[in-house]
Amino acid sequence: MATIVLDKLTKRFPDGVLAVREVDLQIADGEFVILVGPSGCGKSTTLNMIAGLEDITSGELRIGNERVNERAPKDRDLAMVFQSYALYPHMTVRDNIAFPLKLARAGRATIEARVAGTADLLDLTDLLDRKPATLSGGQRQRVAMGRAIVRNPQAFLMDEPLSNLDAKLRVQMQVSVSRLQKKLGTTTVYVTHDQTEAMRLGDRVVVMRRGVVQQVGAPQSLYEQPANLFVAGFIGSPAMNFLPARLEDSALRCILGELRLSDRMRRTLDAAHAPREVIMGVRPEHFQDAALVEPDAKEYGMSFTAHVEMLESLGSDKYAHFSLKGEPVNADELTELAAEAGTAEVLGAAQLVTRLPVASAATEGQRVQIWFDPDQVQLFDPSDGRNLTLGLAVPRSRQLHYLGAGTRG
Amino acid sequence: MTTGWERKSWWAVADIVILVYALAPVLWIVSLSFKPLNSIYDGRFIPAEFTWSNYQQIFRLAPFVSALRNSIGIALIATGLSVVIGTLAAYAIARLSFPGKKLLVGVALLISMFPQISLVSPLFDIERTVGLFNTWPGLILPYITFSLPLAIYTLSAFFGEIPWELEKAAQMDGATPFQAFRSVIVPLAAPGVFTTAILVFIFCWNDFLFAVSLTSTEASQTTTVAIAEFTGASDFTEPTGSISAAAVLLTIPIILFVLCFQRRIVAGLTAGAVKG
Repeated sequence: MATIVLDKLTKRFPDGVLAVREVDLQIADGEFVILVGPSGCGKSTTLNMIAGLEDITSGELRIGNERVNERAPKDRDLAMVFQSYALYPHMTVRDNIAFPLKLARAGRATIEARVAGTADLLDLTDLLDRKPATLSGGQRQRVAMGRAIVRNPQAFLMDEPLSNLDAKLRVQMQVSVSRLQKKLGTTTVYVTHDQTEAMRLGDRVVVMRRGVVQQVGAPQSLYEQPANLFVAGFIGSPAMNFLPARLEDSALRCILGELRLSDRMRRTLDAAHAPREVIMGVRPEHFQDAALVEPDAKEYGMSFTAHVEMLESLGSDKYAHFSLKGEPVNADELTELAAEAGTAEVLGAAQLVTRLPVASAATEGQRVQIWFDPDQVQLFDPSDGRNLTLGLAVPRSRQLHYLGAGTRG
Repeated sequence: MTTGWERKSWWAVADIVILVYALAPVLWIVSLSFKPLNSIYDGRFIPAEFTWSNYQQIFRLAPFVSALRNSIGIALIATGLSVVIGTLAAYAIARLSFPGKKLLVGVALLISMFPQISLVSPLFDIERTVGLFNTWPGLILPYITFSLPLAIYTLSAFFGEIPWELEKAAQMDGATPFQAFRSVIVPLAAPGVFTTAILVFIFCWNDFLFAVSLTSTEASQTTTVAIAEFTGASDFTEPTGSISAAAVLLTIPIILFVLCFQRRIVAGLTAGAVKG
């Protein structure tokens, strides 16, 4: 087990494409770090550079304090799990798992004991004599995990290991992977394009875009304090709502109405040299059915009335969608995310998604009054996407105050 | 059920037609090879009288026995070399990107498209000059040249089917590139290697053009040439019986070869049809 340090790691492909730009990352011993981002963001290339499957153009990679840039993959003592599992089809499960040990010239007895132990851990004992072709997707995935852990390597590298599983199995496997990693305490670098998976698994999450690290942090801090528009839009499902807004002396004006800025907010914005035109971001759960908000909270916050265009009932919550009169936010980051999610439809109007408790009386096609807390609003600079309200901690008490009115579990 | 039965019977009819079409000439030769000299031209499919004399006669002819030895030796060596070189070349073509790769593949294709007859005279002159004329290497070399494009093409298709990630996985598991090639890639490409080997072997075994042009004596003459040079018992008899017997004998190694590796060839020919 070891620490992994990426020091200004850069990858430029022979055709000139800069796939990864100066990635700095220090991964602690035993840490579970997730690289996440839309396709083409450089996360897999970064992982392949750690693995040694891609040459490092510049920068330094240190594993356990030793520079390993020039070492072949086999000399880095890392194990990797691939999206396709990459099981050897001509070998049995037993031989697949034993393969790394055989290459390491382990003794017959050692191999047998280690394979048996690994199979036991992953519940593969009954499958040892089968060939990969006869296994289900979940079983193949476990064999791939087995082949990685049997050697007890310095670190695990996982390249979208669960992407080929169906949704239900994926969630199950996420839990098992997380449990396994905690049990073994092995440093793990895990690549995924699925932000939910990243949030669920990671000790720390690294969000990448176009080869550049956008933000590194614990899942909760990425969620609550996104460094920029891209991270804000990428993390969270349903995604954060973005609306164009304009800062005026002591108020924020947007299509939902005018919001009085608190002194703290104003000071923060001044310190950040906020421009007049900004992008306002509010997470769906920070809206509330006004009817469920206590009167004094209602006073403090801001309300608007709108037509519920569509209502999704998820049992535990309701997602109410609104179509607002006004231009949607036009930002590169958001267009890219929408394209990735396949929602790049041309609506020509600003969209709003709110997450309401089931107790809400909102119904499709009806007008409803929606309330939101101005302290939960995040503002972004349209020119470079930076978060202007970063470091503005939300007072917990107030959050609880209005949430208490609802029926959230 | 009836439709299933009907379909099956149609298939059976089609199979029989094709089998008859393909095998009738072969059976005719088999029949000829068992006929005594005086009934060769009687036009009967089943010989009125069986005889082994044609077979006995060809083995009494010294050139045929040495030709058989030459054929087997030359075809096996050419096949072996061609498959080994082809495997390495195809692997490089399937896996690496290097400058001139397209050109290389193009040139290989060009060689296979070149009319062989046009090369016979220059080859004859070259081999005479360098002393390869009428030797085993003198035939093995052109055979390798002309079978390599075939080998490279077949094999690179097989290598292309093998997911690259398997090799990366082997590397991550601690294999050197050669270990990865040997214990992961080659076993998976085995059907392709066997298929290629058989195709190349048949090409070398059946070749007549090079064999007749580049050999002159028993030292390197192959069976195809030996058969052509059969003479009858007298100047006025045709060696039809001997030719038939020799032709039947020549197909036996191929049949054995194919039967031995049948399972692997079938696996090879269907590889890629089903993604696994």
